[in-house]
Amino acid sequence: MNALLPLIPLLPLGGFLLTALLGRRYPDDAHRIAVWAVVASWLVASLVALMTLVHIAPFGPQGSGITLWSWIPAIGFRADMGLFADPLTACLLIVVTTIGMLVHVYSIGYMAHDPGRWRFFAYLNLFMFSMLLLVLADNFLLVFAGWELVGLCSYLLIGFWYPRRSAAVAAKKAFLVNRVGDMGFALGIMAIWTQLGTLNMQSVFAKFGAVPHEWQIAIAVLLLCGAVGKSAQFPLHVWLPDAMEGPTPVSALIHAATMVNAGVYLVARCNPIFGTASEVMVVVAAIGIFTAIMAASIAFTQTDIKRVLAYSTLSQLGYMFAALGVGAWTAAIFHLMSHGFFKGLLFLDSGSVIHSVGGEQDMRKMGGLARKIPTTYATMLIGSIAIAGVPPLAGFFSKDEILGGAFKNGFLWVWAIGFVVAGMTAFYMFRLMGMTFWGPSHVDPEVEHHIHESPRSMTGPLIVLAVPAVLLGLAVGFPPETGLLHQWLAPVFEHTIAAGGHAEAAYTFFGIDGALAIATTALVAIAIVLAWRLFGVEIPVLGLRSQPRPDQVRALSARRAMALLYRGSSNKWWFDDINNKVFVEWGGKLAAAAFWFDRTVIDGTVNGIGTVTAGAGMALRRVQTGRVQNYALGIALGLIVMAAGYLVISVTVR
Amino acid sequence: MPTLPILGLITFVPLAGAVLIAVLPSKEQNLIRRTALGTSLAAWVLSLLLLVTYSLGQAGFQFKEAADWIPSFGIQFKLGVDGLSVLMVVLTTTLSWISILASFGPIKVRVKEYMISFLVLEVGMIGVFVALDLFLFYIFWELVLVPMYLIIGIWGGANRIYATTKFVLYTLVGSLLMLVAILATAFTYQAANGSWAGAFDYEKLQAFAAAGSFGHNFQLLAFLALFLAFAIKVPMFPFHTWLPDAHTEAPTAGSVILAGVLLKLGAYGLIRFAVPLYPFAAHTFAGPIIVLSLIAIVYGAVVSIVQPDLKRLIAYSSVSHMGFVTLGIFVFTATALQGAILQMLSHGLITGGLFLLVGVVYERTHDRSIAKMGGLAATMPLWSTVFGFFILASIGLPGLSGFVGEFLVFVGSFAFAPVIAVSSIIVMVLAATYLLWMFQRVAFGAVSDFLTGLGDHLTDMSRVELLTLAPLAALIVLFGLFPSLILDFLSPVQTFLAAAGAAVGG
Repeated sequence: MNALLPLIPLLPLGGFLLTALLGRRYPDDAHRIAVWAVVASWLVASLVALMTLVHIAPFGPQGSGITLWSWIPAIGFRADMGLFADPLTACLLIVVTTIGMLVHVYSIGYMAHDPGRWRFFAYLNLFMFSMLLLVLADNFLLVFAGWELVGLCSYLLIGFWYPRRSAAVAAKKAFLVNRVGDMGFALGIMAIWTQLGTLNMQSVFAKFGAVPHEWQIAIAVLLLCGAVGKSAQFPLHVWLPDAMEGPTPVSALIHAATMVNAGVYLVARCNPIFGTASEVMVVVAAIGIFTAIMAASIAFTQTDIKRVLAYSTLSQLGYMFAALGVGAWTAAIFHLMSHGFFKGLLFLDSGSVIHSVGGEQDMRKMGGLARKIPTTYATMLIGSIAIAGVPPLAGFFSKDEILGGAFKNGFLWVWAIGFVVAGMTAFYMFRLMGMTFWGPSHVDPEVEHHIHESPRSMTGPLIVLAVPAVLLGLAVGFPPETGLLHQWLAPVFEHTIAAGGHAEAAYTFFGIDGALAIATTALVAIAIVLAWRLFGVEIPVLGLRSQPRPDQVRALSARRAMALLYRGSSNKWWFDDINNKVFVEWGGKLAAAAFWFDRTVIDGTVNGIGTVTAGAGMALRRVQTGRVQNYALGIALGLIVMAAGYLVISVTVR
Repeated sequence: MPTLPILGLITFVPLAGAVLIAVLPSKEQNLIRRTALGTSLAAWVLSLLLLVTYSLGQAGFQFKEAADWIPSFGIQFKLGVDGLSVLMVVLTTTLSWISILASFGPIKVRVKEYMISFLVLEVGMIGVFVALDLFLFYIFWELVLVPMYLIIGIWGGANRIYATTKFVLYTLVGSLLMLVAILATAFTYQAANGSWAGAFDYEKLQAFAAAGSFGHNFQLLAFLALFLAFAIKVPMFPFHTWLPDAHTEAPTAGSVILAGVLLKLGAYGLIRFAVPLYPFAAHTFAGPIIVLSLIAIVYGAVVSIVQPDLKRLIAYSSVSHMGFVTLGIFVFTATALQGAILQMLSHGLITGGLFLLVGVVYERTHDRSIAKMGGLAATMPLWSTVFGFFILASIGLPGLSGFVGEFLVFVGSFAFAPVIAVSSIIVMVLAATYLLWMFQRVAFGAVSDFLTGLGDHLTDMSRVELLTLAPLAALIVLFGLFPSLILDFLSPVQTFLAAAGAAVGG
């Protein structure tokens, strides 16, 4: 049965190869291959995940693997092509293949009129292969391979509309910023090999306690660099908002639901490593919670619907990092899953919105769309309520576990910031809903009467994704901290949690946990009310109606205290400008200076020697006088020099 | 079969082809082209035969052939191969036929002279890799220089005379020093043994060196002379400035061979001769050489970023990539050395492919400046896809051959001293920067005015052009997924390290 594992990534790989080869000849039909390949992969993956979670041998809590071939069998180094699945893998498989399949189906409609549709589906299949390889790999080098390949697919898909310069630039930026983090990851792998002589993850975890503590810290920090890059955490978060240049299904699949989770997955997978380096855990928590609040603050003022969602993704990933850092491992994976579903849903919804208004992404040119695209509206409202953390939807449970974990594990500052971010999340999501769906329409009159609901291939996936956005929390996260997910993942994390010492206090609804949950929910409610007072609301069934107050929004943001915050937020806290100055401008000057050095100093010296030699030749031509006496003198001098030289050499060289 | 002098055959089949072409009339251009291709394909098939009949487990040199040449000085015509040379021979014969095929279209004048030069070049290159006599090695080494001088000087670009003169003079300085070192080595051996027998015989000299019989001061001088010759060829920083000029002016096939094989001659020389013969000196100078390699890796990448010319950019990237080879040699770990050899092969395939691809565009545009390009993905989609593939291979994408070589060098260096890997890992970002930025400017965006002006001339890749690139791409994938195909040949690594290590104290 272990032979099922390679099938999961190989099916989409085959789909990629066939689609790429046949696409040019059958541009209208090649994408079907890709869709069916992913459906097949989803079936196998679901089977494996199910067998793992309900313990049907050979799969089960301790995991099961297969080695395909010896990939790099060098003298003094070894890495295998091996796959491995345990409950953590199973959770990721469910998220990746389910959302992957739905995004494929959705894209049939979304990309229907694009002449490069087959190319798009080929890339999507390649991405599925890479992501599944990353998740299933049993050793660090193979994870790294999947890691780089998803980065490549991200590059290809962000730059899918390559004639647009901004798309090409964003694609390159994503790849380069990711590579900055990958340098750390690569060094971490070298350090692991040098310290332990193996890259197989299970062997590394088993032996990791024997590594000297300073190396434990170094390895954890280096792996964290990779995770920070891929999951777009501060300071490497700058690539993700620009990645929205890609087609929207890509944003949903890669830049919200799957690839960006890879960093969270890596840290969670390496919990035995991070668990022994508690100094690094604090850093993880700090990076995560800082990213969460920083990104949420930017989401407040963005006007591009996808960019709001992108900053929201950064913020939610920050939550996951914070959860990892405080040792709430299961909560992090829980949030990864629930966020994967509702953020995937939100992005696909935004794609449906953009599709309906003829490609417009600026929310200032939307408004009043609720009645015109009801399915999109309803599902997006569900997604927004879920991410805002309203009980009993998915986001409530996962976020609550993170905040509770931070509080109970003694990270009060993480809890406090996370608490504020929960309110901010609710606010910016309902700002988005208000500007897009409610209030008067600001849609271009030309476009206005073309507004239509998306085809069924697009709304179908929206409806399907709305189900886990509502029910996932109740299904696997209830009762809190003892639900199904906790039972599934216990074998992965229990060792680290036990070794870490802080056995978390049991969940008490009529105690601290209940109090925290109520406090958060109250804050969320206030934030939602505030948002819809400011940006307008219209929920016909409930009879709710309020007009947007752009004057109040303007007055609020113009206040002296707010002005700076507002400027900072809308300028994304100037991170792009700083990077541009330091790396693009100064780096470019440095490179130009190096090239000047190369031509003038190094090559100048070479040419100088050449010129001097040629000049010397011209000068020495005069020696050829034709007089025998001069030649005889030369011969005599030469003999003396040679004799002297021989003496010197025979003394120095034996 | 065992009696078949296969090495001699592989080496001199191209020469026979050259002689044959010499008697063909100049105006029979197609016949000349086909003869040249047929000859190089014959050499290629023979080298594949060598590859499959080579016995992997066996130490030492195989398929040895020896005949006295200048007996009074113990100079022999002695050939033999170990795993390293087998791989280099196959790389040479593969790139040779590809280059000859790729020259069919672009080379239209003096086809006869061109093909003769190319085949003689192949003789020299193969000879360098199979010679087991130092004098013979030197002859082959210099033989390479003459046809390359002609290829750049006659069929090259506008600035070809400057470039080819610089290339030859620079290399000649190195090889004259090498000749002195070889002679001095032979003299020392003769003085110690009282006889010229074996004074140029590589195996005898290596045994002599392994016994610690070369004095330290002598080693330092001889190593430096030899090292300089090889370092210029690699080329190592700061001896690299001939390379961008030579590459830019050379015709496409010349660039392919230059990058694919000629640079490897230098690295091969270091592994085969400089280190095993003078291990004490090699260890003494290892520190500075490692530093020079690190500079080459980072500096080559930084300078690549601002290159305005496609070929010049790839040339500087070669400086960076070859830095990994010299680094891998001089940290003296098995892992890094295997990585270095993998990198030699992989760089030959990848950079050879990149130069072919630039040649395809040059054929249509007669221009190589990045600023004039733009939007080629729309006008030449197949070319752009293939170009993208080779760029990703050059960036070191896992699953392709470049990754394995570079990573093994990194791991081996990290084990030797983490600071080496830490200070050069930045190349992961730099390589992606200069290659992807170049790709963006060439392939993405709107179609540039310059390209629009060319109209119908801008056709996508032809079948023949694709045929030259397909085998390279296939090998890049194959070696990326199954590097054991190469690693299995690398048992000489152990011999090398033993030779390098044994005489350190002696």
